[in-house]
Amino acid sequence: MADKTNRWTTPGINISRRDVLVGVPAAIAWGLAGGVTTRGDHSSRKRPQIAALVTEYRKYSHGQNIVDRFLGGYGWESRWHHPEVDVVSLYVDQFPESDLSRERVARYPDLNLYSTITETLTLGGSQLAVDGVLLIGEHGKYPKNEKGQTLYPRYEFFQETVDVFRNSGRSVPVFCDKHLSWNWDWAHDMVKTSHELGFPMFAGSSLPVCRRIPSVDMPWGAEVEEIVSVGVGGIDSYDIHSLEGMQCLAERRRGGETGVVWIQALRGDSVWEAFHSGSWEAGGWDPSLFEACLCRSQSLKPADENSRHTYPRPEDLRQLTATGTPPVAYRFEYADGLRATMLLLEGLVINDITVAARLKNQSQPFSLLFYTGSGHHMQPNFFNPLSHHMENMILTGQPPYPVERTLLTTGLTAAGVESLWLGEKRLETPHLAVQYQPNKASTFRRT
Amino acid sequence: MMVDQRRKKLAIITTFWNWRSHANHMSERFLNGYPRNGKWHRPEIDVVSAYVDQRPESDLSGEKAAHHDFNIFPTIAEALRLGTDNLAVDAVLLIGEHGDYPDNEKGQKLYPRYEFFEQIVEVFRKDGRSLPVFNDKHLSYSFTKAKRMVETSKQLRFPFLAGSSLPVTFRIPPIELPLNCPIEDALMVGNGGSDAMDYHALEAMQCMVERRRGGETGVKAVQLIDGDEVWQAGQDGRWSRRLLEAALARSDSRSGIGLSDGRPQDLAHSDELEKLVKDPAAYFIEYNDGFRATLLMLNGAVQDFTFAAKIRDFPKLQSLQFLLPPKPNVTYSACLMSKVEEMIVTGRAPFPVERTLLVSGILDRCLDSRIHGHRRLLTPELNVSYRAPRGSQFCGAIG
Repeated sequence: MADKTNRWTTPGINISRRDVLVGVPAAIAWGLAGGVTTRGDHSSRKRPQIAALVTEYRKYSHGQNIVDRFLGGYGWESRWHHPEVDVVSLYVDQFPESDLSRERVARYPDLNLYSTITETLTLGGSQLAVDGVLLIGEHGKYPKNEKGQTLYPRYEFFQETVDVFRNSGRSVPVFCDKHLSWNWDWAHDMVKTSHELGFPMFAGSSLPVCRRIPSVDMPWGAEVEEIVSVGVGGIDSYDIHSLEGMQCLAERRRGGETGVVWIQALRGDSVWEAFHSGSWEAGGWDPSLFEACLCRSQSLKPADENSRHTYPRPEDLRQLTATGTPPVAYRFEYADGLRATMLLLEGLVINDITVAARLKNQSQPFSLLFYTGSGHHMQPNFFNPLSHHMENMILTGQPPYPVERTLLTTGLTAAGVESLWLGEKRLETPHLAVQYQPNKASTFRRT
Repeated sequence: MMVDQRRKKLAIITTFWNWRSHANHMSERFLNGYPRNGKWHRPEIDVVSAYVDQRPESDLSGEKAAHHDFNIFPTIAEALRLGTDNLAVDAVLLIGEHGDYPDNEKGQKLYPRYEFFEQIVEVFRKDGRSLPVFNDKHLSYSFTKAKRMVETSKQLRFPFLAGSSLPVTFRIPPIELPLNCPIEDALMVGNGGSDAMDYHALEAMQCMVERRRGGETGVKAVQLIDGDEVWQAGQDGRWSRRLLEAALARSDSRSGIGLSDGRPQDLAHSDELEKLVKDPAAYFIEYNDGFRATLLMLNGAVQDFTFAAKIRDFPKLQSLQFLLPPKPNVTYSACLMSKVEEMIVTGRAPFPVERTLLVSGILDRCLDSRIHGHRRLLTPELNVSYRAPRGSQFCGAIG
């Protein structure tokens, strides 16, 4: 994966944009309001028809959240947005009692449920009959391996999909939700196949494209020295979200993406020992970046139950994270020397993900919150921008960002889990020499 | 206690201090510090005294005073004089929100903000010196009393800041209307009870519409209607369904279908809204310059606060959500207290108290309309004119 040029250099959706740098008052960026998409004129064209392959379609599963946004629309800018594509076929792998896919098929006359992926893509015929594929292999009851990875069949779904492409002599755009696969070799193969067959593909978490507070992007070409994220959740599940959040910022640094040369994961007490070492050189991370993350969070758990918002003292950190999922850190270094630490700190942070980076010659860290909603009782509208990007890729053939981003984060996720499995062993990662140059235009939700 | 003379001394005058009270999360910003632009900021301000009007079992003020080394005094005057003969603090937070106080026939909670304020300014007068004062939320349930408070602050010439956290909290997206823009129509959507949450919604709307061409001119009439008449008024064109769509497009609320099977729902273009909202209310505000704005309180459909406006010559409607970050941190109060800190440090209120005065009056008169047969009421007394601050004051506007 040493292809430095991104095959899809023109993003399909570019909010009318100018560089928004740290510290620039958002108020003067008001002129940004009213983002436009560059889809061209599709009025004379048949509406694209797409297929969705999901593991499970129940309330609040990723499959439901994404496909329902295509079927019924969602709030976008100052309107209710009705996508310009039609989901016409659905493959669902598991049907729990709470399944909603059959209800949706009854509700939407143009939507059909098929029993195989091939039929879903051919609409029961012999040839590929859709214009795009959503592959949503998240949620459902799948076995875990000994390392703690859930064996979601994303690769298997993908293989069946490209079999249809090959047999039909034609390929269409594919979106793959979250990491490409739990298995690095398979993920690598998926990207290689997409390039060989020449179809647009993007993948990943909703984090890189969701709203940010403040609403800023990493300055293009910044000299990034160290980057830290603080998030929540468990490995092979939420680590990918945090890694994608870090990567979508880090990849904008001077020289573009160079890949990662080693990784070491820590768990439990090792995390706090690393924290107390006080620096990257001593085995930890820059404390000022850690502070910046906690100060962008809007869900910091107070150590003192009489208080609503306190900054944790060093001794509070162990106590707050002592029960429940133990804390996890992935420390890794990029080929160009950038240092990175991803932290999952259940108990310290309630439910958000923040990133901070130290830039050369900047006195204050760059930092932000990935805004995914004001608590879990709200609609998960962070799926709106992700769904909008899928729609745009199908309409324009242009992915919003290189799939190599998610290839790298997939590899980091697998390597982090592997390091923990091997007893927090430092692993050299020559296979993660994933190099790419992202697009300069920001793709996160701003207007 | 050891007092560093270079640091400012702050008195907290409040009705009630338990975990969820405004007194708690607002005072905490000075007791514990708060996050600001990616750093934990500790103001150069010490809470040195408090007056707490009601101290039931859930009271936290005693523990807070012991932990943070300040004193609770039995009277407001003593809290301002620190038990001496003279004013001995540098600023006052007046937080008259929460606590067990009676309601009047208009449904207003009779919080003693005016009464507390009078006791504060009596000390100012007697001791020949005035200090910056922040008043949480509306100045008073009574416009007459609110007006007197503002007049007193002008007579005694002290910086006076008041209001809700909504105008200064994070915005999704972080937009501001340009100063002096020709706003043609505006609609706010809120939720919660009256007269607590409708106040927040009205002030959020006001901080947007006060930026219209010509500046704020005051309000000439108000009307509050509720029930099915609200839907009828929409059909009659008294409020804009298109603006409702724009505002709701910014909502992240989960209700109705969103709760039952997860689907995002287009409330503005379905009959779901009418099913979900059992008791809608519409607050119609007619300004002296002819501009009109509407607040819809849509309990049952939304749990957030959104706004939309039509601006002449702009191809798109402008809309946003006033973000209220969740418990426990409720960082919106840090946004507001950073403005109070700014006033204490600079001696200048960062936005005009006339905004809060006008909105206090709008709410008071809307509630009059409600109990007087939902009639349209002329409001010549609400001739409050002022200019909006040039710069944006909301969190996130400063990176």
